[in-house]
Amino acid sequence: MIEKLYRTVSPILYRIERLDEDKYGYLLIGPMILVLSVLAFYPLVRTFWLSLQSDDLYGEHPIGEFRGIDGYVEILTGELNIILNYPFFSLSDPLSSALVVTLLITGFSVAIGTVLGLGMALILNKEFRGRSVARMIVILPWSIPIVIQGMMFYLMFQPSISPFVEPLNQLGILSSRPLGSTRDSIIIVILIDVWRKIPFIALIILAGLASVDQSLYNVAKVAGASKWQQFRLITLPLIKPVVLIGMIFYTISSMKVYGVVEASAGCNTVPTLTCLVVDTFRMQRWATASAIAFLTALIIAGIVMVYLVKFRDEVDTYE
Amino acid sequence: MSNAVTDESKGRVGQFVDLMVNNPYDTYRILFYVGLTSFLMITLFPFYWLLVLAVSGGGTYGMGFLPDSVNIGVFVEIFSQQPIHLYIFNSIVIAMITVVICLVIGSLAGYAFGRVDFRGKGPLMLLLLIVSYFPGIAYLIPLYEMLTGSLTVGPFMTPDLYNTPWAMAFPFTMLTLPITIFILTTFFSQIPDGLEDAARVEGTTRLGALFRVILPLSAPGVVTAAIIVFISVYREFFFSFMMSRGNPDDWAVLVYGILAFEQQSGSQHHFMAAASIVGVIPVAVLVIFAQKHIVRGLTQGGLKE
Repeated sequence: MIEKLYRTVSPILYRIERLDEDKYGYLLIGPMILVLSVLAFYPLVRTFWLSLQSDDLYGEHPIGEFRGIDGYVEILTGELNIILNYPFFSLSDPLSSALVVTLLITGFSVAIGTVLGLGMALILNKEFRGRSVARMIVILPWSIPIVIQGMMFYLMFQPSISPFVEPLNQLGILSSRPLGSTRDSIIIVILIDVWRKIPFIALIILAGLASVDQSLYNVAKVAGASKWQQFRLITLPLIKPVVLIGMIFYTISSMKVYGVVEASAGCNTVPTLTCLVVDTFRMQRWATASAIAFLTALIIAGIVMVYLVKFRDEVDTYE
Repeated sequence: MSNAVTDESKGRVGQFVDLMVNNPYDTYRILFYVGLTSFLMITLFPFYWLLVLAVSGGGTYGMGFLPDSVNIGVFVEIFSQQPIHLYIFNSIVIAMITVVICLVIGSLAGYAFGRVDFRGKGPLMLLLLIVSYFPGIAYLIPLYEMLTGSLTVGPFMTPDLYNTPWAMAFPFTMLTLPITIFILTTFFSQIPDGLEDAARVEGTTRLGALFRVILPLSAPGVVTAAIIVFISVYREFFFSFMMSRGNPDDWAVLVYGILAFEQQSGSQHHFMAAASIVGVIPVAVLVIFAQKHIVRGLTQGGLKE
């Protein structure tokens, strides 16, 4: 039996042995290409193709006739707003439109989260007793299930049980039922997003801090620089590229925010872009949902481009 | 800052500020500990709040920061409310399936990217980055179509996998394969060439060298990748939510287990809190025992570009 198996396998092994480097490489990445073609590249192409069709609410398959980019135009001009649960973009009621809400959440979350993450990275970079315990605690928020992240803050802002809601209401910061109001819920979602993303960006910055040449600080000390000057003139310029990379990943993932919204305030209170796609998909409007999904990807691409241009400037001036 | 305070002729605050100005080193130490404690408190407070809420029992209004009463029994009661253990079991099984698929495909590809020189390596890596860049919604509809058995390829129909673990394991593979490959590529490329050459001189085949020399040496990398994939799948929301009907018998995962408590009639907040704590336990255990791996995996996956 084993003899037989060996006889069938060994010619194959022999042929693998004789492949040149190029072909050997392609052989090894073959399974990856196959899996990603079916599960990633085909779906992307298909989504794009679907986005060029029209909706068919009554047919057997929810896809109608080809109509090119008209679907995109209708979404952007607001002609489709009547059929959507909430508009993609609307000037008259910005807090109800998916694009504005998503950009608000992302903008505030990235700004606050990056500053706090930088602070956390600087603290965790110091040598102190119990540092590994501190690191362990700090990565907890990132690693717990998204649905529980949402649930935690849902429970924290329930007026009947939470000790925060009333004081914050009296200060005029939140309304008496924060999870029912769009403005307050957006603040809460930003809070959740900051809370769970700080560890991620802090770890990336921490890796950047580890590669800073320590002798630079000795030179600075001899020259009489204060801690703040050391940070501003040595640390910050050297870790800027890493911070920018962290911010790119942070931004991409905040633009997709969905799970924490669904688990806390709900999509009708905080309409994000992903919410809009899911709701439209559930209405059997596959073509429109695909178009919004692709528009979202394009908007994220635009933002990433801005970062990359900044990143290149940064690297150029440094070199 | 000190000018404003010292006017109040040596109050407590004034003395404190003087002390701080005169001893910059101590000031930084104090600042450091204040920062550290506040970060730890911010991080841990939601967990603490869950615990207070869970043990306080239902129906208490206007709760403070300390529990009114301690009732550990709630952690037993939740299992009779919703079969949360079944949801967690499903989550773990689906995460394991994804880990196995990702590691098998990922080690082959990671080895190729890390140790074999072939043309088109750069563009192919970029392709991986593009896959992880697109939001989940850009894949949703075709994957839904494919996995619910409504896609026809010539004379064949795709099998209906909705309500099976595969309807989630396949999208998760797509989501986590890129980071698996990034992590493994880094580890494979760090192994010195000499070891592999020695094995080849001894007469091992190429694949033999991969499985007998390279893979054992990069075991830490394989473990790192496995843990990152496991946690990513366990915490995932979007496809878990879209690719199942929500019954534990239909392989619904933790997402639905937690949401089931939220949708239950009556405000059973202590059950929601207790269920959330139970749901956190598996990852909390992983974080405690594999903290180093997680930190390494996250930073490498992020910085690899």
